[in-house]
Formats: sequence, C-alpha cells, structure tokens
Amino acid sequence: MSHTQTKSAAYGQGVVVFIYLAVLTALEYFVAVTFNAVSILVVVAVIKAALVMYYFMHIYKLNEASDGDEHSYDYKTGTNRIGLWLFLLSDAFVFAGLLTARINLLGLTRPHLNQTLGLAVTAVLLISSFFMNRGETAMAHGDRKGFMNNTLITFVLGLGFLLGVVLVEWRLAAEEGLTASFGNPAVGPMGAVFYMMTGMHAFHVLTGLIFLLVVWNNARKGVYSEEKHWGVEAAAVYWHFVDLVWIFFYPALYLIGKLVN
Amino acid sequence: MKRFISSALAHGLGWQLIGTLLGAGLITGIRALMGLSVTDRFFFTEPAWVLGGFIGAISFLFGSGVTSDWMKWARGIDTPEHHEDHHSGWEKYVNVSLDHKVIGIQYTIVALALISIGGLFALIFRTELAASQLQFLTTDMKLFGQNGPQLYNTLMSLHGMIMIVSILLGISGIINYVVPLLLGAQDMAFPRLNAFSFWIAVPGAVLLLSSLFLGGFDTGWTGYPPLSARAPVGMQMFFLGVFVAGWSSILGALNVIVTVLRMRAKGMTAMRMPIFVWAAIATSLIALTATQFIGLSFQLVMFQRLFGMGFFDPAKGGNPVLFQHLFWFYSHPAVYVFILPGLGVISELLPVFVRKPLFGYRWIAMSSLGIALVGFVVWAHHMFTSGMNEYLRVPFMYSTLLVAIPTGVKFFSWVATIWNGKITTPTPMLFVLGGIVVFLMGGLSGPPNAIVSTDLHLHDTYFIVGHFHDTIFGGFVFPFFAALYYWFPKATGRRMNETLGKLHFWLMTPAFFVLTFGMMYIGLLGMRRRIVDYDPALGIDSTHLVLTIAGYLIGLSVVIFIYNFFNSIKNGEKAEGNVWNSRSPEWQVPSPMPVHNYDQPFEVISEPYDYGLEGGSPYVKFSEPESGKHQ
Repeated sequence: MSHTQTKSAAYGQGVVVFIYLAVLTALEYFVAVTFNAVSILVVVAVIKAALVMYYFMHIYKLNEASDGDEHSYDYKTGTNRIGLWLFLLSDAFVFAGLLTARINLLGLTRPHLNQTLGLAVTAVLLISSFFMNRGETAMAHGDRKGFMNNTLITFVLGLGFLLGVVLVEWRLAAEEGLTASFGNPAVGPMGAVFYMMTGMHAFHVLTGLIFLLVVWNNARKGVYSEEKHWGVEAAAVYWHFVDLVWIFFYPALYLIGKLVN
Repeated sequence: MKRFISSALAHGLGWQLIGTLLGAGLITGIRALMGLSVTDRFFFTEPAWVLGGFIGAISFLFGSGVTSDWMKWARGIDTPEHHEDHHSGWEKYVNVSLDHKVIGIQYTIVALALISIGGLFALIFRTELAASQLQFLTTDMKLFGQNGPQLYNTLMSLHGMIMIVSILLGISGIINYVVPLLLGAQDMAFPRLNAFSFWIAVPGAVLLLSSLFLGGFDTGWTGYPPLSARAPVGMQMFFLGVFVAGWSSILGALNVIVTVLRMRAKGMTAMRMPIFVWAAIATSLIALTATQFIGLSFQLVMFQRLFGMGFFDPAKGGNPVLFQHLFWFYSHPAVYVFILPGLGVISELLPVFVRKPLFGYRWIAMSSLGIALVGFVVWAHHMFTSGMNEYLRVPFMYSTLLVAIPTGVKFFSWVATIWNGKITTPTPMLFVLGGIVVFLMGGLSGPPNAIVSTDLHLHDTYFIVGHFHDTIFGGFVFPFFAALYYWFPKATGRRMNETLGKLHFWLMTPAFFVLTFGMMYIGLLGMRRRIVDYDPALGIDSTHLVLTIAGYLIGLSVVIFIYNFFNSIKNGEKAEGNVWNSRSPEWQVPSPMPVHNYDQPFEVISEPYDYGLEGGSPYVKFSEPESGKHQ
C-alpha cells in the first residue's frame, strides 16, 4: 500500500480537521443560544458532515482504482469498501426516517434538555472520532502500538458518550417530565421522539464499541499489518459514521426550534 | 429423516424455538419479579412474545451456522475463500451453502412455498366471498382464538404480506442464480452475506406465519395505526417478521450492487451488460435504501405498543398520518422492486424468442433507473383520502403519472422488438407475452387511481385490488414463471414438460383476466376491499362466484406448475446444451452449471442482443484453456 502522506502529516491533518469541527460545533451552539437560525444550523451540520466524510471516513477511497488481480487483497478491500458504504447508506435511511418523524411531530419546537450535558457528550464523541482517526492512521503506517492506544482512548470516550446519554441524559429527561419516568417513555411525541432518536443512535454506538473491541483484540493478536488492515478501516469508518449521525441529531434534538414544555 | 434432522434448516428451526422460549421466559421472569402479570391470552404476555420472537430469529441464524465464519473472523481466524459443498442432492438445499446457484434455488423454493401458502389463504377467503352473507367464516366458529370474520381479516392480511415476502424471495432467487452467470463472475461479491440474506428470511417467514396462531390481526398488510396499535399480539409477530425479512432484502440488494460494480467480465462495459443486470441494479437501489422505512415505521408501532410511546397516538399528540408517509415511502417503491426484475426478464428473453436485436437497449436500461428514481417521489398517492395536507395531492398526482413515461419506453421497445420478428412460442415465451399483456392492463388501470378526482371514489374498492393484481402478475408472476421455465434446464440439465407448461399458461391466463377484470368491475359497483361480507343488494353475487371459480383455476394451474417443476427435476427431458439458442454466456457452456461456474473466463466482444444479424459476432468469447492447466 502506498502512502500519499507521511504519518506525521496525516496526524497533523487530523488535528486541523478536528479543530475545524470543534470550532463549527462551538459556532452551532452559539448560534442556537443567540439568534437560533435553523438555516445556519443546517449549513454548519452539512459542512461538518462533509469534513468527517472526507477526512475521517475517506470517502474518496471509493474512487481509487484498484484494478488488477481480482484475488488480490487490495482489490477485495476496494470491493469491501463499496459494500460498507452501501450499508451505511442504507443505515442512513433509518436515521433520515427518524429525522422525518421528528420534523413531522415536533416541527420547530424542541424538548427541554440539559444543554451543558448535550454539548459535553457531543464533544466527547467528536474527540473520540479524532482518536479513531489517529488510530487508523497509525495502523496504516504499521504502528500497531499506536493503533491500540488510540483505539482504547476511542473506546473509553465512546463508552463515556453512551453512558452519558443512556444513564445521565435519559434520567434528566425523565426529571424534566419529558418521559413518565426513567426507562418508561410512555408519553407524547416529544418524549417518544427523544427516546427513539437517542436510543437508535445509542444502539449504533454500542455496536460500534463492540466492533472496536473486536479489532483491538485482533490487533493485539497481530492480525493486522500496514498492508492488510481492512478490519481496522471498517471499524474506523463505522465509528465515524456514528459520529456523523450525531452531527445531525445533536442540533435536531438540542438546538433547532423553540423550547417548549 | 436423520439427514434432515442434522441439516442447518432443522438446527435453525430448533434453535429458533429454544431462543423464542428463552427470550419469552426471560421477560416473563423479569415481569414476575416486578410483580406484573406473567401470562396472557396466548400464554406469554406481549412483551415476552416480542423479545422471544426476536431472540428466536437471532438464535435461528446462529443455530443454522450461517454466521460461524464471521464469528471466526471476529476472533481473528481466517477462513478459506471458497467452501466446497459437502452435501449432495436435496441436502444441499437444506444446509448452508455459499454457492450463489444453490442460494438462488433455495430462495426460489421458499418463494414457491410461500406463494402456495399465500394462494391457499386467498382461496379460503375467496370461497367465503363467493356469495353474500357469511358462509363458513361465521361469528360462531372459533379457530386460533379468532372467530370467522376475524380469521378472514387475518388470512386476507397475511395473504398480502406473505405474497410480498414471497415475491421478494422470488426475485432474489432469480437474481442470485442468474446475475453472476450473466456477469461471468464465480460468485456474488460477498458469498457469506449472500447466504445470510437467504437464511434470515426463513425465521422471518416463520414469525410472519406465527401471527396466524397468536390471535391474528385485522389491519390488512399495511398495518396502519391506530388499529394496529391495539390489534392482538399477532400484529407484533407480523411486524417482527417483516422487519427480519426486510434485512434479507436489504443485504441481498447490497450484494447485487457490489457484484455488478466489481465482478463483470472483461469488456463488459455498462452498455454491454445484459439488460436483466440493469433491472437488478435498479431494483436493488430501491430495496437497499427504502426498505429501512418500512422497518422503521413498523418498529415505531411496536414500540408504541410495548412502551406506550406516542408516535401515532392522537390522544397523546402523535400523528397517525406520519406512519402512512413512512410506510408508503417504502411500500410504493417496493412495487417497483417487484416488477423491475420481471420487466428485466421480459427484455432479456424477448430477443431470444423473436430472433431480433432488443430495440433501444440504452433506453430500456435507463428506463429501469428512471422507474426506480421516480418511484421514490410518488408514495403519497396512496394517501389522497388520508387527510394529509391537500396541497400535496396535485404534485403527487403528477409525479405518479410520470411513471408512465419510463414504463412506456419499455412497452415501446418490446413492441418494436417483436415487430417483424421470427416468433416462436415455447412456454417461457408464452409467459413473456402474457406478462406484457397483463402488465399493460395493470398500467392502463393505473391512471384512474393516480388522478385525485377519480381516486377519491376508487380508493379502497376492488378496483384497486384488480389494478395491482394486474401489475404484480404482469410485472412479477408471469415473468417469474417465464424465468423458471427458461433457466430450469440451466440449473438441472433437464427441461420442464412443454405440454404441462402450456396447460399451465392457458389455464392461468384467461382465468386471471376474468379475475382481475371482475374485480375492477365489482369495485366500480361499490365492492369494498378487505371485507368479509357485502350487501346482496349490490347485485354482484354472481360476479363474485365467477371470481372464486377463476381463483380456483389459477390455483389449479399453479399446482400443475409445481408438479411439473418437481417432476421434471428427475424425469424431465435431458437438455444439456444451448436449448434456446441464446447468445448469453451461461448457455455457451454445458448444463447443469459447474460448481464454480465458468471453467474459462470470457470476454465480451460484441453487443448482447444482436440476434438474427448476418455475419454478426457472438456476444462473448471464452479464452482458450491453457494446456496442462488442471481443471
């Protein structure tokens, strides 16, 4: 596998992209608490999504020619990549459906949620994406140790996000009266939408965490190398996809529209 | 029997039962600890059945062994690229195989089984409808905890969804068997995922059928809330079954797209692909994406029932119309999932039997994509009477009428292809021609439903029932039979009996016309859909009787087909060569197809459908075997 970048250049790019994403997230939050313009929030989310898809998920690799021997690892990786992206496309429709439900049921209103916590979990997930990118870059340059350390950090942050949403945020939402009680969402559409969107996303975070554990464990056994690490790439792309979904869900739940209840 | 018990199918079903009991037992135990009720009308409570059904489906997959390679990968163990089949004869088809040809046949057999079950249900309620008043599905009778009219509702609803699942499996069967052969590939891009896509449909079908025994449901196949939010527990099994079977469709579609993108033979550019491959791509694009919406909509109703989440509950501020939007966003494009492969089969076979080039290849290829894309923006034409915002009606009316353009392109091409051709009419060709005519009837009866002013009167009448049976028979059933008759020799090395095949066709086609035209006729006279009884004053008793007889004739013709199908596997006339004199690559090698498809790779050197041209070159050229190379 040929490298277009040295490892330190790739790391540097990760830092720059992360800074962009962090600034955009801060901008989002600022816009939401000051003059709440939905159009700006949508534009910012789309820019963030594009950055993640290009620099973290490397969508351009779909286009990289991998002609030649059909039985080579590279050719198969190219095939696998298309398969994975098609799966993500399909999965994106689930989340698009949930967004549709949210817009249809809640319109330009939003539930009363803890803004600090929302921003905190969003930041945690974004930082986890940064470390995931670092981990994948390390593996692509044959640095197994670097991969394992960065993936472990990603895992811990991901777990933090999951617990932050499911244990803390769901409990707080119940206290706000969004749901009947913690773990019992038997109320109107606002609570239903909130539980369903965060729940479906949390389910994907959970599967992503399992995926991370699997590749971490396989890396420990020495399954991956600089040339052959499709499993690592797939886990990383899936993890970034989970972040990508949250880029849209975070403003949809926390930022856009008028506060009610 | 012993060999069946040790098969993947038997193991899977056994584990599904165990998993269901474990899952249901778990919830029952938790409920007991929480001091909630632990039993209900159907022994377990609804949450217990739902988790049980879900765990059962997963247990099936692990039990059948279709996931074992992936589990090894997760532990860092590599598995060989190609598995040799250890089984022979019928055992191949009840065990996990990674061979796309075996999987294609597995799909087809399950599709035929489901078509028979769905058809049987139709005959039962068709018999009840033969005369007004309640005949045998009376309010006094009790079966599976349902009285007669309730059972009618369940059978009518299940008829719809079982047929839909059987169609999805049927097209997967044809696509799986044929597409890699047409492309010159050894297999699908992801053979394990391919096997998984098939096997996940089996527990899905079991779940779907189990709804009959758990109180049934009375919503029709659409499962609209609020009715579906309070139907018996069978409703949940229906939702779960569709959700599980949906994954089969999604993952199968993913595999098809990747296979076509990555595994074409040398020289097979996009515009030299067999036309059926274009249809497979178009149908897969819809199945891959839109299917998630029906899964989601059903999931939301499941959660509304289980947790009281008020998505579609107006009392809590929810919106039932939202369900219809989510549901039809899949379920309308789904009909294009059903018909596009069928129309592809028609375009694929027509040139073979008229010995002329396919007219307007590029237009046909693009029209498949056009139908798929337009299909995404027409869904609300099912909702003209639903109370959705009125300004949506007119745009959806026009987008729906727009479908006629790419479909018209296909008809134009077929007619131009037949024009001045040297037509021969063996059984597959009969079904191709039948499909064209029937689909035309479906197409012509479509615009009255698309136009708001007429649809407001036609909505929920038998006119609609007649219309969509025409489209589905013309777009799927006839081409499906054509494909089975056509590729049967490829799969088995034997031909199906011509006489029985012709009998099948000449019995089914007129009966079918009587059935659907009759349906449209009584629909115009005021016969409502999905109802166990009708007013004798409508004066349609005699028509209903005729429809019932026609229904039985179709049933009889399918019985003849199934006999012919299974009998010909053993006793059919041998047909090992190019039976239809086709240019397509799969017919240039002996039948039945060798395990790893083509011994020698081929290169595409000409157009696929240049039939009957003087001095024309063949479509493909096989490379010479290298001397001394072990085959």
